[in-house]
Amino acid sequence: MLSKTFEGITVLVRYNRTMKSYTTYTDEKLVSHIRTEQKEAYTEIVRRYEKKLTRYAMYLLHDSHIADDVVQQSFIKAYINLNGFNIQKSFSSWIYRIVHNEAINVIKKYKKEVHLFETSDFESSQDVVEDYSKKELTQMVKSCLEQMPIEYSEPLTLFSLEEKSYTEISDILRMPVSSVGTRIRRAKQLMKQICQRK
Amino acid sequence: MSKKIEDQILAKIESGEIQMKPRWYFVMGSALLFGGLVGVSILVMFLLNLLIFTLRRNPQFLYSNKFDQIITQFPWWIPLLAIMGIIVAVVLLRKYDFSYRNNFKVIFLAFIASVILAAVIVDASGINESLSRGKMKRFYQQIYATSGHDVIPQRGDLRRK
Repeated sequence: MLSKTFEGITVLVRYNRTMKSYTTYTDEKLVSHIRTEQKEAYTEIVRRYEKKLTRYAMYLLHDSHIADDVVQQSFIKAYINLNGFNIQKSFSSWIYRIVHNEAINVIKKYKKEVHLFETSDFESSQDVVEDYSKKELTQMVKSCLEQMPIEYSEPLTLFSLEEKSYTEISDILRMPVSSVGTRIRRAKQLMKQICQRK
Repeated sequence: MSKKIEDQILAKIESGEIQMKPRWYFVMGSALLFGGLVGVSILVMFLLNLLIFTLRRNPQFLYSNKFDQIITQFPWWIPLLAIMGIIVAVVLLRKYDFSYRNNFKVIFLAFIASVILAAVIVDASGINESLSRGKMKRFYQQIYATSGHDVIPQRGDLRRK
């Protein structure tokens, strides 16, 4: 009984130590803290990003079990390579990039991806799609996203649903900001075509 | 689920099952990447310099109508190796963040222009003539042999040509 109580206290102390409030810490400051002082604080990173990354992985993979595995694997990879992260840059973009890579590897491995459309099919009529408000776009994205090729759905997901800026998307997908803009514009046009077909 | 991932990762960290790679590992990676890029750039520049030198010494490759002779005698390994070097350089350049933040076509063209310019400058400096008479005499002899010439240029040969 007594040993169980001690065991409980030990767990509680360890829990409190790891659950220290990091609310005032930025991601980058937290990473610096994990690297130099308390590696257990990495759970705070997991807490901050798990839902966002799982949602993002779901949009790419359309399977909750695979998405969970990909996110867990991504957190492990991020931890292993934490010393390679440059704290002058955005941690968010860095960890999203890891999930992107993991998800793409899974897609390639299982060939679950729907076949890609030809890019030349989506030219012109830019003005029509500009009229969509962001809110309307979010609703549209949720219903039509699964039918879109990943090269368009991914930037649109990051922009509309994950609320990332063009620069952040550029860092996650490693493509020029101008290409991000083009992809999102084409994705909106494509989405319009897909949703109208419904 | 949330607790599960958090706990699993914490358990792996505490048990030492997953460990951070040390800082030097990444520093070394960056140094190797940079060193590799510089090394490949120098190699490509040297090969292009060699190509310019060969064409300058053997103008028949540029003006002759005898294609058979050009095909059999031209030292094709020089441009082939240069192209392979350029491919490696592109792969290495792609690893840097600036490669996607800027227009990569511009970066690529700037790289090509830089190595060609450097090759022209090196060739004009007369380093090939010096090397062909010095420590790399044998290497230059092979190039001359493959291009149908077995005589290494002597001092002042270029100006006379």
